[in-house]
Amino acid sequence: MNVIELGITVYASLTRHLVRSLLATLGIVLGIAAVVAMLAIGEGGRREALRQIESQGVDNIILRSVKPAEGNTPQSSRSFTQRYGITQRDLDHIQTVFENVRLLVPVMDVRREIYEGQQSTDIEAVATTPDFLEVTRCQLVDRRSRFLKSTDGDILDPVCVAGVKAARRLFGPLDPIGKTVVIGNVSFRVIGLMESPGKGRLGGQFDLNNIVCMPLNTAASLWGGITLRMGRGMAEKVDYDFLYLAAKDISAIPGTSGRLRSYLKSVHTQVDYDVQVPYELLQSARKTQRIFMIVMTSIAAISLLVGGIGIMNIMLANIFERTREIGVRRALGARKRDILLQFLTESVLLTSIGGGLGVGVGIATAAVAETVSRLGGEVGLKAAVTSESLIVALAVSVITGITFGTHPAWKAAQLDPLTALRHE
Amino acid sequence: MPVQRRDPLIELCGLSKTYEAGGAQIYALRPTDLTVMRGAFLTVMGPSGSGKSTLLNLFGLLMRPTSGVYRLEGRSVSGLNDDATSAVRCRTIGMVFQSFNLLSHLTILENVCVPMQYARLHRSQMRKRAKELLDRFGLEGRYGSRPSQLSGGQCQRVAIARALANDPPMILADEPTGNLDEKTGLEVLEIFQELHRAGKTIIMVTHNPAYRKYATQTLFIHDGSATEK
Repeated sequence: MNVIELGITVYASLTRHLVRSLLATLGIVLGIAAVVAMLAIGEGGRREALRQIESQGVDNIILRSVKPAEGNTPQSSRSFTQRYGITQRDLDHIQTVFENVRLLVPVMDVRREIYEGQQSTDIEAVATTPDFLEVTRCQLVDRRSRFLKSTDGDILDPVCVAGVKAARRLFGPLDPIGKTVVIGNVSFRVIGLMESPGKGRLGGQFDLNNIVCMPLNTAASLWGGITLRMGRGMAEKVDYDFLYLAAKDISAIPGTSGRLRSYLKSVHTQVDYDVQVPYELLQSARKTQRIFMIVMTSIAAISLLVGGIGIMNIMLANIFERTREIGVRRALGARKRDILLQFLTESVLLTSIGGGLGVGVGIATAAVAETVSRLGGEVGLKAAVTSESLIVALAVSVITGITFGTHPAWKAAQLDPLTALRHE
Repeated sequence: MPVQRRDPLIELCGLSKTYEAGGAQIYALRPTDLTVMRGAFLTVMGPSGSGKSTLLNLFGLLMRPTSGVYRLEGRSVSGLNDDATSAVRCRTIGMVFQSFNLLSHLTILENVCVPMQYARLHRSQMRKRAKELLDRFGLEGRYGSRPSQLSGGQCQRVAIARALANDPPMILADEPTGNLDEKTGLEVLEIFQELHRAGKTIIMVTHNPAYRKYATQTLFIHDGSATEK
């Protein structure tokens, strides 16, 4: 029997009991749907995690100042200023000793309000150096834009670069270049617009698109080191809130981060810093992904085992019911392999239909899960259906059909023609 | 009338079939010698359980003999493997059953196409041939009907058309009129006679002694022993 005839014969057999055929595929539909939906959600989550990690720069090491817990701070009772975090000394040491560091970019949260009219905003003002743009993977948006230069430290003409979101908030549809932003009580002229295409966050905290950058020298000149009044006579002082270290080579990251941690441990009497290594996070995310894949594969295997047993059961019932048909076909010239192929094709077609429906249900489930998770207005799940996952899902359904259809088909092929013909 | 080649189509030499029952060997067919010439009309008669169907199943290669030789078109076929046996069933033998054995989920056109599918004929060729056969037996315009929509006589005509699909030289019919009323039975018999006249070798198992008149050769079977008359 040629392939077309085989297809027509199988189609006629399956449509004979359409509802039963569809019910038989239910296990496969649910199994494949679960796999596709979970893979889509897992892949979406993985991509988002990778995007966030990569937006921080895989070749970066980011040091962040962390306020120690109350009571752990060794403070002088005379001075009511609590000092913590990354110091100028740390910066100088790293600059001198860490030969694998290509760029060293300090960032200071100037802790001054930015107003839109009379209203304060959530826009963060930071002071940094010209290499900030490179280490944070930000890009200038407007052709007239430029980033900070080392010569920009003039307090008589203070300048700043605004993130696109911050600029939209402050100036709406107006052209922000050349406009003025009031930070603290000082007016800054906007000289550039920048954007983080990966929607990255500064040290994992501030939205890079929602900040305003000013030269470090300007901030130091204006506010002489950043001190924040906490009330009740208490104040806190941090030299740098973030310190970006860009490694010369990605392979130098593990060694450099290790050395950095040792250095900070030896110098800082308290844990008032945090070391973020996106490269390590990336490795960890990949490891998590591997574990996720193993779990997914196990779930898929169990689902498909159950679905496959369902298919085998239906096929065995089918063959029993159609024993006489098998006898007639054999009497009319069908070879054992024709019968085997017919029933195997039926089984594979059933599981493939189940797989196809499962893919559809899976995509829909992932989309529904994504929509439902965003109902609260927060950032929810992200589903990403990849073509690979669809191919794998369909291939697995075909393999399930072959695996669980072979025994019934073989049994059908082995039937004695005469016994089959006499079957009532 | 076409010129008939009068060479042997079937030659049986000591062909027998036994069954084991309670440790004893029971003959379903005692050693039988028989020659059926090409173009013959052989009726096989005898009481129920005498071994008629056993002989027909041996002719149709649906069972293997216990001993003896079965030569079909000069070639021994009793020891062939399954593939070769299927090929002989497909191209050399056409079978007609008492209960028609049409596939109920297929149209009658598709039913007639089944043997041609196994002969790997092209689809258009198959459908053309099937239509010709159905037309020949008065079923034109009914191609899309299911067997359940036809009368017994029409079903048997479809079954005969199916048996002729691959143009085999021999038609085996197991009580083809057994499920039909007398009038319809006679109509079916007319068809077999017509096929015989066209040069086909017909082997028909029947209970009805009246059909003997159509035969060129008759075999009586009693208790597994075949006697030619």
